[in-house]
Amino acid sequence: MRLLPFDYAVRNLGRSPSRLFLSVAGAAMVVLLILVAGGFVRGMSQALRATGGEHNVILMGAGSEESVERSEIPAATPGVLAASVQGIRTRAGVAYVSPEVHVMLPVTVGTGGMAKPRQVMLRGVSPAAALVHESVSLTEGRWPVAGGGADEVIVGRMAGTVLGVAESDVQVGRAITIDGRPWTIVGRFSAPGTVVEAEVWLPLADAMTATKRDTISCVVVTLDPYNEATGEGAEFADVAAFTKTRPDLELVPMTEREYYGKLASFFGPIKVVAWVTAGLIAVGGLFGGLNTMYAAFASRIRELGTLQAIGYRRLAIVWSMIQESTLATAAGGLIACAVGVFLLDGVAVRFSMGAFGLKIDEAVIGLGLLTGLALGVVGALPPAIRCLKPTIPVALKAV
Amino acid sequence: MTTNNTHSRTLSPAPALIQCRRLTKTYKKGDNTITPLQELDLDVPAGDFLALMGPSGSGKTTLLNLIAGIDRPSGGNLIIGGTDIATLSRSKLADWRSTHVGYVFQLYNLVPVLTAYENVELPLLLHSMSARERHQKVSTALELVGIADRHDHYPRQLSGGQEQRVAIARAIVTDPTIIVGDEPTGDLDQESAQAIMNLMTRLCEDLGKTLIIVTHDAKSAAYAKRTLHLEKGRLVEAADLAARRESTVPQPV
Ligand SMILES: Nc1ncnc2c1ncn2[C@@H]1O[C@H](COP(=O)(O)OP(=O)(O)O)[C@@H](O)[C@H]1O
Ligand SMILES: [Mg+2]
Repeated sequence: MRLLPFDYAVRNLGRSPSRLFLSVAGAAMVVLLILVAGGFVRGMSQALRATGGEHNVILMGAGSEESVERSEIPAATPGVLAASVQGIRTRAGVAYVSPEVHVMLPVTVGTGGMAKPRQVMLRGVSPAAALVHESVSLTEGRWPVAGGGADEVIVGRMAGTVLGVAESDVQVGRAITIDGRPWTIVGRFSAPGTVVEAEVWLPLADAMTATKRDTISCVVVTLDPYNEATGEGAEFADVAAFTKTRPDLELVPMTEREYYGKLASFFGPIKVVAWVTAGLIAVGGLFGGLNTMYAAFASRIRELGTLQAIGYRRLAIVWSMIQESTLATAAGGLIACAVGVFLLDGVAVRFSMGAFGLKIDEAVIGLGLLTGLALGVVGALPPAIRCLKPTIPVALKAV
Repeated sequence: MTTNNTHSRTLSPAPALIQCRRLTKTYKKGDNTITPLQELDLDVPAGDFLALMGPSGSGKTTLLNLIAGIDRPSGGNLIIGGTDIATLSRSKLADWRSTHVGYVFQLYNLVPVLTAYENVELPLLLHSMSARERHQKVSTALELVGIADRHDHYPRQLSGGQEQRVAIARAIVTDPTIIVGDEPTGDLDQESAQAIMNLMTRLCEDLGKTLIIVTHDAKSAAYAKRTLHLEKGRLVEAADLAARRESTVPQPV
């Protein structure tokens, strides 16, 4: 089948600049929303997934596997684990065993107490936390010290987002109020791509005092990968076997990956809502596009009849109309993707687990571009078919 | 048959280029049936220049569209160059049009986003040929209609007469078997109309093309070799025509 020149489709776009603007801007809006939804879902999933260290195992109280925050285990447990579990990583005589308190508490910036408090994930840690959480690194200041007169905390890179303030308000030396008590920020840390960046860390002892508890939430251990040749190291199954032999400890092991994976699935419905919202808006945009293209095609019915009279098949004409429409929506999609990559990527989003950055990666961009193309095709087909419905003699009579 | 006593039939013993046999077109509108064309018989020999006249709604456009293969008969046969085009599928008919028909419209129907040159080139893109050959054909056609100097102008930059010249170039560029025009001078001033009719005459006389035009204007019709009158979907007897022609039609200038 012989096609109409590509140039014809391109120049048809110029027939009505206002319509062209509508098509391009409409597609850009829809694609941008798809990028936001995709970046949101991927950012959240990846942050939760990345948070789990590859060889880390969380041990928590039996019956509270759903949430470490509800778990309580004796403060002596870490010592037992370090002494009894084979294959825990050791460097320079220090075992990778991190006793931790995980607690969600209302936090405000400053000491005035006027601001509306925000729920923030607090983690009481010992220096061993720096060992087991490899992705965490101090970017400013120093590690907090327990009982050093002033109460000290370090904050993650996303603390400002979580607390709803500018990052300058949570710099080293500033104060935050946790549950009515002032603390001084002595350091900041990063943990790229993980939800840990949204946390506030404080010394384990201070965390226990502040929460009036004598138990800890969990122990995070790092295993040395099992080496068949030397028989050293351990796998998750070994830890699981250990907890079975010591039912008196009432511990449940879970790989850190699995734990955050479960959290991620807990947020599944939010992702569905994000997709459905984006989808509905895309459908709205599609109807707008259908309208615009119909107006464009209906204004040249006589020309469509003429092209057929000359000998062009209707399929060739439909193809040209699809080219025309898709050129506009693809341009809009490209603009949206540029905006996505340069302006949206990494933008911090708060959610109940803390905060994460929108992730506009190749997959999300690919989805955005596909949406742009699909808008063009789906937006052109029904109006094209409708405008080619009249017989040629009828079309030739159109004004 | 009404066409038996026309001179074309007696002049050419070979079968006519266009043969309409009991050609009928009907439209159903609810219980009503409109019959724009009723069992019409017509032969048009190759090289003829035929003008169709008749009151508004008499079926002139319907007949022209059937012959041009852009409409399909409800009954009868329509044999053009040995092919019964009523039997062709929609897409085969489109292909047939691209080689056999050049259509000239009352309102020119040039594609506004294409230049004069590109408009004339459009039908050629349906045929395989080298770019060089295509260029040659377009240039020849533009020159023939005397509009070569305006080849890069867009339709909006041309006068009606110039637009119609481009449209004629577009109709002849593929060297079609027949050229049809539905009131091709209907929207032109008298001077431009004459120029267009002169051009049409040359297509017939110099290039040997077969032309059929519908016209309201007796002056335009006078350029044709013969004129047929339609009334209520039927051809009016030649005897009646002769009488009417004598009394009303001025001679071509
Ligand atoms: N698509 C159609 N549906 C119904 N009736 C039609 C249609 N096209 C033409 N007609 C009717 O057919 C008759 C002849 O029309 P037409 O061939 O256009 O006349 P002319 O060109 O001689 O003025 C008219 O009565 C017209 O109303
Ligand atoms: Mg008519």
